[in-house]
Amino acid sequence: MKVKVNDAELELKAGTSAIDAIFAAGYDVPYFCSQEYMSPIGACRMCLAKIGAPRKDRDSGEWIIDEQTGEPKIFFFPNLMASCTTAIMEGMVIDTLSKEVKDAQNGMIEFTLVNHPLDCPTCDKGGACELQDRAYEYGAGQSRFVFDKRHQEKHHALSELITLDRERCIHCKRCVRYFEEIPGDEVLDFIERGVHSYIGTLEDGLPSNFTGNITDFCPVGALLDSTSRFRGRNWEYDHTRSSCLDCAVGCAITIDARTGRIERIKAARNTQVNNDWICDGGRFGHEYVDADERLKTPLIRRDGKLTPSTWEEAAAFINDKLADLGAKETGIILRADATLEEGVAAKALAAQLETGQLDHFPRLAASVIPQGVRATLNDVATSDAILVLGDVSEEAPIVDLRIKEALKGVTPPELMPHGVPLADLRLKERMPRQREILTVASPYRCDLMKHAGSTLTYPAGTEVELLASLLQAANGEGEISEEAAMRLGSSPEQLNDLLKRLSGAKNPVIIYGAFVLAASEASNAVQALAKAVGAKLLAIGPMANSYGLEALAVLPSHARYSVQEMLRGSAKALIVSGLDVAKDAEAAKALKELELLVVHDSFANATTELAHVVLPAKTAYEKEGTVVNLEGRYLPLKPAPVENGQSEDFCGLVKFLGETMGTRLEGRSVRSARRLLKKRLQLDLSELSEEGYLSPAKAKAASKFKLKESYELEGNLLLTPSMIRHEQLSRNAHLHAVYGDAALRLNPADAVAQDLNDGDVVAFELQGIERQAVIKRSEAVPVGLMLLPALPEQPAALLWLEPTKLIKAAVAEVLA
Amino acid sequence: MEAPQQITSRKDPRFKVSMYEHVGVKNSWTLSYYLGHGGYQAAQKALTMQPSEIINEVKASGLRGRGGAGFPTGVKWSFMPPVDGRQRFLVCNADESEPGSFKDRYILEDDPHQLIEGLLIGGYAIGASKGVIYIRGEYYQGYQRLKQAVAEARQAGYLGSNIFESGFDFDVILHRGAGAYICGEETALMNSFEGLRANPRLKPPFPAQAGVYGLPTTINNVTSLASVVHIINNGADWFSSMGTDDSKGNKLYQISGSVERPGVYEMPMGASFRELIYDLAGGPTMAIKAIIPGGSSTPMLPFDDEHLDTPMDYGSIATKGSMLGTGGVILIPTEKCIVNATWNLVRFYAHESCGKCTPCREGIAGWMVKIYQKLVKGFGQEGDIELIEDMADKIRGKAFCPLADACLGPVQSSIEHFRGEYEYLIKNGKPMYSKSDWWSE
Ligand SMILES: Cc1cc2nc3c(=O)[nH]c(=O)nc-3n(C[C@H](O)[C@H](O)[C@H](O)COP(=O)(O)O)c2cc1C
Ligand code: SF4
Ligand code: SF4
Ligand code: SF4
Ligand code: FES
Repeated sequence: MKVKVNDAELELKAGTSAIDAIFAAGYDVPYFCSQEYMSPIGACRMCLAKIGAPRKDRDSGEWIIDEQTGEPKIFFFPNLMASCTTAIMEGMVIDTLSKEVKDAQNGMIEFTLVNHPLDCPTCDKGGACELQDRAYEYGAGQSRFVFDKRHQEKHHALSELITLDRERCIHCKRCVRYFEEIPGDEVLDFIERGVHSYIGTLEDGLPSNFTGNITDFCPVGALLDSTSRFRGRNWEYDHTRSSCLDCAVGCAITIDARTGRIERIKAARNTQVNNDWICDGGRFGHEYVDADERLKTPLIRRDGKLTPSTWEEAAAFINDKLADLGAKETGIILRADATLEEGVAAKALAAQLETGQLDHFPRLAASVIPQGVRATLNDVATSDAILVLGDVSEEAPIVDLRIKEALKGVTPPELMPHGVPLADLRLKERMPRQREILTVASPYRCDLMKHAGSTLTYPAGTEVELLASLLQAANGEGEISEEAAMRLGSSPEQLNDLLKRLSGAKNPVIIYGAFVLAASEASNAVQALAKAVGAKLLAIGPMANSYGLEALAVLPSHARYSVQEMLRGSAKALIVSGLDVAKDAEAAKALKELELLVVHDSFANATTELAHVVLPAKTAYEKEGTVVNLEGRYLPLKPAPVENGQSEDFCGLVKFLGETMGTRLEGRSVRSARRLLKKRLQLDLSELSEEGYLSPAKAKAASKFKLKESYELEGNLLLTPSMIRHEQLSRNAHLHAVYGDAALRLNPADAVAQDLNDGDVVAFELQGIERQAVIKRSEAVPVGLMLLPALPEQPAALLWLEPTKLIKAAVAEVLA
Repeated sequence: MEAPQQITSRKDPRFKVSMYEHVGVKNSWTLSYYLGHGGYQAAQKALTMQPSEIINEVKASGLRGRGGAGFPTGVKWSFMPPVDGRQRFLVCNADESEPGSFKDRYILEDDPHQLIEGLLIGGYAIGASKGVIYIRGEYYQGYQRLKQAVAEARQAGYLGSNIFESGFDFDVILHRGAGAYICGEETALMNSFEGLRANPRLKPPFPAQAGVYGLPTTINNVTSLASVVHIINNGADWFSSMGTDDSKGNKLYQISGSVERPGVYEMPMGASFRELIYDLAGGPTMAIKAIIPGGSSTPMLPFDDEHLDTPMDYGSIATKGSMLGTGGVILIPTEKCIVNATWNLVRFYAHESCGKCTPCREGIAGWMVKIYQKLVKGFGQEGDIELIEDMADKIRGKAFCPLADACLGPVQSSIEHFRGEYEYLIKNGKPMYSKSDWWSE
């Protein structure tokens, strides 16, 4: 459609809003209530424009012509129109510059400021505030309002994470709409009416895993991140755009640091991955980085004590030991969120040491790179039939949001010259959701089930059986029997419906996580099922770079050199990066026998206790590098300026070691690693775009290496993925305040049977690892099952735990 | 043959009261009374007609919505999408909260079956098997009577399934409001009915496309639906024989303020203010200076011969710069301060602002009301009138729904016609007319 904005003529798609036409034409108009990815509501009345359009004669169907100009006559709306809620029409004329429009904007700014406290000097939003900017650009500079302003609560803790200043709120309703439209958790609304309206909750707290996003888009300083309140002005922060490494999604984030500390993390836009959203785990999970006890210098054990040293000394110490040992029996273990560049460095080091003992962890039984057609996150958002196996909301939270996007039946917006449309008229408040397209299957009742048309709680460990029955039916190799379906907590109708829905859909997607990846038979079955029904696959690996490290083959040369084996004595020397492997009592025993234990980590732990050399490691926020997310998308990491002493990433470690060895190893720096990767990938990672690069799907040779053929498929305790990184929770004070200690969740009936009450602290040993948890009774857990958050060192799996071994903390103390 | 003269006066012998015929009669609200006076005959007849025939009849009658906006009822009904199996709703707006309007109240209280019958006919015409009556919370008596009437109608088979053996099913849901004027605005009403905050919704989509629960919905005022009963009984021609070119039929006018017999008067459209005020309501009880023609949001007009002789129809009042609105006439006595009287109305609108949009929430509820308070307290300053005028310019036509503009009706018209009183009050710190305490807080 042709439209004219002031003097600019342009051609836009039908359905575009007038405000987007204005921006597309290169003009500006102030707005407060519109927000990308949310429904336009026309509430702030800031975006008014003078709008007209030609009309067709009712009878002849011809344009009515203006006699003077000979052109179609423009009929202007009698009133100025909110451009965010007005759709363009053929020949529309939009004026944003006339005095009438300017006067209206000026008036609306004045009204907006009537009850705004203007406490900019003490407001965290100052310098990044839409109201400040718009008042400066479009206001008269002076108010004629001479009365008392509205007084309301200025420090209302909506939760431990978010503080609301009710005086500053300009009632744009972005936050309220966000909760209903994006995560579908209706936890906020206006209370009271008229000039007394304020934002509030009915109950305490904000029960949602996606609350922090409201602090990003609140146009004023009404909603603030409590972790960073009063910690800096916007212009004092260094803003670093990077990627979140807390799960396999790899959301775009902005790290705001000041004087060497990370003060806050905000969502950044990646239209392919996370749109404008991140989860609370990713946003608030950074406080540990600045903890006082952070390791900042290399340490060498001398006379039984770890004593401060330098990288050169430490490297020389290690080199000497390795030389004595004959380096071949050295093992190298990387955490699965190490960057590709670190992976290159580790491989180069392994090659130099001529060892095949190299691995990354956590790594499950099956490959995280699906054999079949991979789904992207945008495929998920546009899917018309989704099967979810597992608890994605915890495992890869943004996948949960992208699924909810699909339920709205509105495809991701097409980008305009100014980016994501400001007012996508296809989006509406309280849209009906197509729940029927979503099926969620999980061993316990998970959050996403609230949004699903069909849900299935199958007995933990029956993934293989479930998928095999589906596969059989899909291939026409046998009906699903009543009995089999019952065993799976389902019915033949439900499973047949699911198959029909998947195979009848245009863009079906199957999403699976740890519970399927833990058993290679299940993983094989899901891939075969996808093939049978024509679905794409999205596998959620255990960590941010599981995909990348597997693709790069940071893997042992032989099954007897896997992490488990290295920790059971296959190695004589070990270099462990980022994992507290000594948590496992049996591993600790083996570690004590090592000739050399080098630990590369950010904090002291059980493993550093045993180490000969401890090397300070950079955290995810301090690294430059690349990770590959669950879609197979290469995403860039940029270092924020954090005061981390002499911390180095694994590339740094390899550089120092190489130097003492007198060689220049590949991967001794990010640049060097990238040179190598460029050859391999035909991709220059230093020029990766902000949206990343989706690697072409490659038929991959089935991995030769397996940790085990399969995890046990029987047990009564399920280690579950969680949004919160439990290994750092004690140092993430704000998150800890909201989420509490790791919980052992069990059905109330079981709790009663075992005399366990909510809040009881229990200590127990789980496959060699000492765990402590708070009892939480939950109807979401089937009778006979217990749920406990997984740890990097103890990833998702089904285990046995004798309930009698749960010892209440009070008792445990006495025993100790 | 010359067409017979239109009926435009209640004194015309051809005029007969219809909607209010039974108001004030003992037990008029019972089913037996209603049936004894021809009740449910219109519905019985309607259910033998084609829905489209009913819609055409209503279109032909010229009935315009009595809720204030005056949209032709038959045309509105024809906006409903083709029947597609989805639930459809006919909502009756009984939230009557506009100061000066109280015509619906006595239908609810004294003739609830008339409304149920209108709803039934309308529901049949638009293919809706569910009627909703959203009733103002304060209308408790009306609610009780309606509740009883609905129960009786169900019992007698006027509501329920297969009504009059026609195969048509229809039932009514009663929903009480909780005391908000904005709930009279049709989309806010739907939100409120659904249990959401009463904020108006964006249009489009219009209720016919996505109304209650996103389903096809038509919404009509109580009196619009009551009129339909008589149109079906007496024919479109009967209805359109009353009134003027753009305003057909009979209408319930209300009069309040300093007048001998305030109340509701059923008159043909096009009757004059003079007939209402003097012939029916017995004339003013004290000197009057201003007349609000159609409910508090319609701009006030000077009380003079020109306006007294204006016919009370859509077009005529519009040419005088105001609106017919709900036909709720309010008389303002000369000896009362106009600023104070306007403040009272501004206070009402400020109190009722839903808070959704900036010009109304901050402009009216946050600011305008304070300026008026300042004026009436005698602290007015030079420039305040101009400030009000400028603010009014910056609000008019810019708010999300008509409520903000509704407040500007009395504001701008009182300044237009009584600027001298404003100036006097500002200059002297006290009003031109001292007896101004009627509306104090
Ligand atoms: C602020 C506001 C309040 C309203 N209050 C009422 C009301 O109380 N009763 C009513 O019938 N219409 C009211 N209306 C008009 C309705 O929105 C709607 O136009 C009417 O119910 C339609 O019915 P009708 O076509 O039969 O007149 C109000 C409109 C606005 C903007
Ligand atoms: S708190 Fe912020 S986002 Fe929410 S309505 Fe107020 S100004 Fe808008
Ligand atoms: S969804 Fe994953 S990548 Fe995104 S913010 Fe959360 S933890 Fe980080
Ligand atoms: S004008 Fe705006 S604030 Fe006022 S009632 Fe309408 S929508 Fe609500
Ligand atoms: S009305 Fe708020 S942006 Fe258009």
